[in-house]
Amino acid sequence: MTMPKGFKSEHGYATVTSVEGALDYRRIAEKMTSEGYKMNHSTARNIFLSAMRKLASHVVDTYRIDSSSEIVDRTAKDPRFQEGIFEIMDEIEADKKTSTQGECGI
Amino acid sequence: MSDMLQHFFKEVGKSPLLTREEEVELSKRIEKGDAKARDRMIRSNLRLAISIAKKYQNKGCSLEDLIQESSIGLMKAVERFDWRKGFKFSTYACWWIRQSVRRHIASHSSSIKLPTYAKNMLWKSRQMSLEYEKEFGVKPTKKEVADLLGVSVSTIDSIFACSGPTDSLDRNLSYRSRQTSRTLAEVLVDENASGVDDKLDSATLLSSIRDALDSLSDREQKIVRMRFGISEDDNNIKNYPLKKSEFDKIKSASGVS
Repeated sequence: MTMPKGFKSEHGYATVTSVEGALDYRRIAEKMTSEGYKMNHSTARNIFLSAMRKLASHVVDTYRIDSSSEIVDRTAKDPRFQEGIFEIMDEIEADKKTSTQGECGI
Repeated sequence: MSDMLQHFFKEVGKSPLLTREEEVELSKRIEKGDAKARDRMIRSNLRLAISIAKKYQNKGCSLEDLIQESSIGLMKAVERFDWRKGFKFSTYACWWIRQSVRRHIASHSSSIKLPTYAKNMLWKSRQMSLEYEKEFGVKPTKKEVADLLGVSVSTIDSIFACSGPTDSLDRNLSYRSRQTSRTLAEVLVDENASGVDDKLDSATLLSSIRDALDSLSDREQKIVRMRFGISEDDNNIKNYPLKKSEFDKIKSASGVS
């Protein structure tokens, strides 16, 4: 589907090219299907964006700012927000790995 | 005042002042290369050098240094004095002495060395501001000063910034007139450091996002992880899916039928 005529994202679009090991929606759909969650690439995108929307609404609630669905939608699609979430998740994973290594005595 | 300096003043006082005729005669002899005449001319005018040096006291340089510099200026004046022009030596010499002393102050009074033209500019701008305030009753703006001096506002800004007082970061601070062990560097506020509020704020945000991540369904978590390239287990081969074409390519490259 083409972009609406005249639409231009202010901060660019989120892509997977900048993150090592990140998968595009088609690959995600393939992998999810192989794991029993049958879906196509647009479903994968919809699920990803719905997850981002959930996270964005938490952030919006935390800061008690205007939580209209339009703001949440825009925040969820914002590549800067998605990068931030990636960094936080990456940090959580790194923490988990460190604590596991500590437990194992490494 | 040190004993040395007092002794020097006494010695200087012993040399008699020169009459106009004596000045001309000595100058003629100096022109011919008479070292004694030069020496007498300098000694007789040292009082002038000292009096000029004293006017520049309390500007960040010691009186001894100022007298030394003014003496150097005096020597320069003795070498360049032209008796044919009919002026008194002191009239000519005081300009050389002043220049020498001012240059010394310009390069030694502050930790930041300003070029002479910048010092002059600073002095001019201060004088101009005083005159302006006297005439109009208000201080001139930076732009007005810059326009009057024919320079840009940024030049004025940088000259003023460099001419300000300096302080040492290692200076021990005093509290109620008692010296403390804390230095200035230890109490300076870091403008770029994040405050306690910011840290609390980001901690709240982090925990909120962590909670939100936990609330995602299994399917959502999987997709988000894949999208961001965060695998649960690096050794699990299932986390690295291959397309059939890629699989075939690797298979053919490895020679496995």
